[in-house]
Amino acid sequence: MEKDTEGEPKKDAEPNKSKGKAGEIDGDTLALQRLKALGHRMVEEIELGESPAFETVVRSKGNVIFDEEGGFLRLGQKRERRRFLNLSQSKIFMQTLAVAAKTKKFIEEDLHTSIRGLYYQLKFTMGEDLDENLFDEQSESNALIEDLEAALGVKREDLHLTTDRKGVMAGPIVIKDHFAGEDVYIDGRKQGRSGWAIPSDVDNDMEIVELDANYVLVVEKDAMWQRLNEDRFWQKEKAILITPKGQSSRGVRRLIRKLADRGLPIIVFTDSDAWGWYIYWTIKTGSMNLAYLGRDFSVPEAKFVGVTMSDIEEYDFLKKLTIKAKEVDVKRAKDMLNYPWIKKHPEWVHELKLVLKTKKKLEQDALQGPRLTFVGDYLREKIHEKKFLP
Amino acid sequence: MSPLDGSSVEKGKSAEQTIKNSGAREREGKTDKISGKAGSKANRESSSKSSGAFKEYSVAEFFKKNKQMLGFSGKVRSLTTIVHEYVTNSLDACEEAGILPNIRVEVEQISQDRYRVVVADNGPGLPKHLIGKALAKMLTGTKFHRYIQQRGQQGIGAAGATLYAQLTTGKGIHVISGYRGKMISCDVSIDFKANEPKVENLEEQESSFHGLIVEGEFADVKYDASQYGVLEYLKRTAIANPHATIQLIAPNGERHLFERSVNELPRRVREIKPHPLGISAHDLLDIAAITPATKLGSMLTTELSRFSAEKLRRVAELADVDMNKSPKDMTWYDAEKLVKAFKQLKWIAPPTDVLSPIGKEQIEKSLSNILFPEIISVVERSPKVLWGGVPFQVEAAIAFGGKISRKGEIMRFANKAPLLFDAAGCAITQVVKNIDWGRYGLKKFDEEPIVVLVNVVSTHIPYVSAGKQAISSESELTDEIKNAIQEAARGIKLHLVHKRKAAELAKKKKAFLRYVGQIAADLSALSGASKEEIEERIKYIIEHRFDMGKGRERTEAELASVEDANERKGAVSEGSDDSKGKKGEIATDTRNTTDVAEGM
Repeated sequence: MEKDTEGEPKKDAEPNKSKGKAGEIDGDTLALQRLKALGHRMVEEIELGESPAFETVVRSKGNVIFDEEGGFLRLGQKRERRRFLNLSQSKIFMQTLAVAAKTKKFIEEDLHTSIRGLYYQLKFTMGEDLDENLFDEQSESNALIEDLEAALGVKREDLHLTTDRKGVMAGPIVIKDHFAGEDVYIDGRKQGRSGWAIPSDVDNDMEIVELDANYVLVVEKDAMWQRLNEDRFWQKEKAILITPKGQSSRGVRRLIRKLADRGLPIIVFTDSDAWGWYIYWTIKTGSMNLAYLGRDFSVPEAKFVGVTMSDIEEYDFLKKLTIKAKEVDVKRAKDMLNYPWIKKHPEWVHELKLVLKTKKKLEQDALQGPRLTFVGDYLREKIHEKKFLP
Repeated sequence: MSPLDGSSVEKGKSAEQTIKNSGAREREGKTDKISGKAGSKANRESSSKSSGAFKEYSVAEFFKKNKQMLGFSGKVRSLTTIVHEYVTNSLDACEEAGILPNIRVEVEQISQDRYRVVVADNGPGLPKHLIGKALAKMLTGTKFHRYIQQRGQQGIGAAGATLYAQLTTGKGIHVISGYRGKMISCDVSIDFKANEPKVENLEEQESSFHGLIVEGEFADVKYDASQYGVLEYLKRTAIANPHATIQLIAPNGERHLFERSVNELPRRVREIKPHPLGISAHDLLDIAAITPATKLGSMLTTELSRFSAEKLRRVAELADVDMNKSPKDMTWYDAEKLVKAFKQLKWIAPPTDVLSPIGKEQIEKSLSNILFPEIISVVERSPKVLWGGVPFQVEAAIAFGGKISRKGEIMRFANKAPLLFDAAGCAITQVVKNIDWGRYGLKKFDEEPIVVLVNVVSTHIPYVSAGKQAISSESELTDEIKNAIQEAARGIKLHLVHKRKAAELAKKKKAFLRYVGQIAADLSALSGASKEEIEERIKYIIEHRFDMGKGRERTEAELASVEDANERKGAVSEGSDDSKGKKGEIATDTRNTTDVAEGM
């Protein structure tokens, strides 16, 4: 395959396009169609006397491209074939096919499970037939699930595979959750102190039925979210308040994407250190690991509200509250300076260089220094004055 | 016989000279007489009569001092040497008479280190008057000064064995000879004082038996099954002489039979005159002692090959030696000058069709009969010339796998006679050790079930020492040995590569087949097609694709793609970001190679 890395990715390599085009089709319905098509294609190959095979996009770093126009990370056009009659691939091929068959069943039965559950299902059904453990480790199945996602152009959630839930939301939003045969309406304003736990799949059987917000505020830390929730920040600001509790899960990223699609500005609030900023950039451009998911898992429109190193100049008291940057922070800052999509922003180069120079960082919690409610005031001020970093 | 056939690496420093040096320092005079004994009958008679010096020098004494050199060092080796002397005589006698040899060797233990040895053959036998000379005449030499490919005696030939019997047990040997309708039975020993054979208790009767049976008791010897023992010696002799049937009855009563694998005698060897470039000063002096020529000039033209009147004139000029003097008056210095002059002239090479190698087919047959290997690769090089004057030829064979249990075994032969001792000093061993066996698909020579056989045939084998158990590393010779072994190794390599490929294919096929059931079930679940049909179809594809008869190119490409893919797989399993760049690139390459494989 030619090494054209800038061209348009193939249609079925990009999940959201088909989804967007055929909006009325659920992700899992599409997944089911594609699983069947995959099976038919292979049977045809076998009938032609060829090795059953499937094609998938190369997911390695070498095939990760920053889409300038879209502003997110995606995969290039490098594709590879996984063939059964290739000794080094036959086992992984067989495993992938087993996963495919199993997930087809899950979709048909409308049941969900985790990768771990899948792992035991496969172990259970194959254990008797063969003298070797076909899935020795769960980590083995993870890579081939990614293969399958890329090959089918669907997300694992569409295959009824769940991941760990992480992240909490509150705010003026109502979601209809069709779950276990019943419709449940979730009101983001009535979630009390704990908020609504964001599930791994916010696409299938999940619908935003009411939305009355001005913007979305994503807060890195759960502690900060609780603080702002107690202040009823979301009510005062008419904002959707989300915390991914650190790095964003797939569900959180999908939810932010969906809210952005509804026209809401996405504003991110993290620590003033390389790790926090990296959390922001993952939300904005997506990560290299999940680049195969492309636009569906990135929010290029997102803006960064703080905390910035420059805030330390702005708010005098913060000077006293800085702490020393760790080795990993410095290293991460250096890495980020090398990413083309970051280094094209002079504001970020400035911030990152400040970290390298001062070797200092500032936690978002420090904004509670003067008084506990200061953090809300800080955010309101910056958001209204649009003091954002790109 | 080593001292007298002049075969030793440094010409002029042969065993004989060592004998001479140990006996008397001066070449002129006394020692002249010792060497002069062997040769033409007349000459032998006269020298034995006139050699007063020799009589004072006891034969027994001489033997004791030169024991090692004569092959009698160590108990095991001594027994092997005894058997070697008799068996060599038997093989030579049979071949000369045009008889396919049947040789039986019996070794019986009498006490701790005392054994009875019987060697019987179906040769022409010995006439009455030659029995003593053949078996008990010290420094006898029907083979003396013959420029002919011969197996070569160890030390002083059969007489050495007789002498050893006498020295260790006080008794001579018993001989039965069936010759032209008569069967003669007698005891043979050496009269130490006269240095003459003694034949006693002679009985004669009419008989149709032909052949020779030699029976003797020997002490200070030992039989074992080591690689230096009689069994190994006879096994290798059988390998190098596939036209002979050889059997051994070992002391424990076990019978080892090496049956002939070909029914034709080897090509007759032809005697040639020595070539000026293959001769030493010492050899010239030996020739001078036996030549009927009266002038040095005529001796050179008649006794040496390629020697014309013109050459004689030029040699005389270069060497500044009087060609009219009697050969008997030639001094060591004269001889040296002549040899030096020979080397300054150009000569037509000696004929090379006088040699008789074992033969490619013969080696193959005997190796497969005796070693039962998985594969044999034999190479017979064309004859070459050493030093411009000595024809030689190298054969090499490699046997691998099968019933071969010893690892990295080297079988060395000189004129088809096995060389069991002094392995480290031998050119053959050195060449084998220096070959990069990895290039031929053999990782470690010493750990592989492999036998390398090398046979060097020549009218004059250059040995390292008088022990005649190690061939000297003359570059012309080692090059040939190396070429021969490498060529044979290539044959083995091809086999090994094909074998490994076949094994690889079988393994692959098996690996694929075990997944077929699962694949078929899952494909059926995905597509709705019948599981049985899918399974049958995939099995058919696998069988078809891994059918070995479908040509090698495909399988080679397949293998290549597997190797590439393995590399790639290694990268896939690493999940970290850092490894992914590499993975991507390799993966793209793999796609190309798998496509190639697919297209087949």
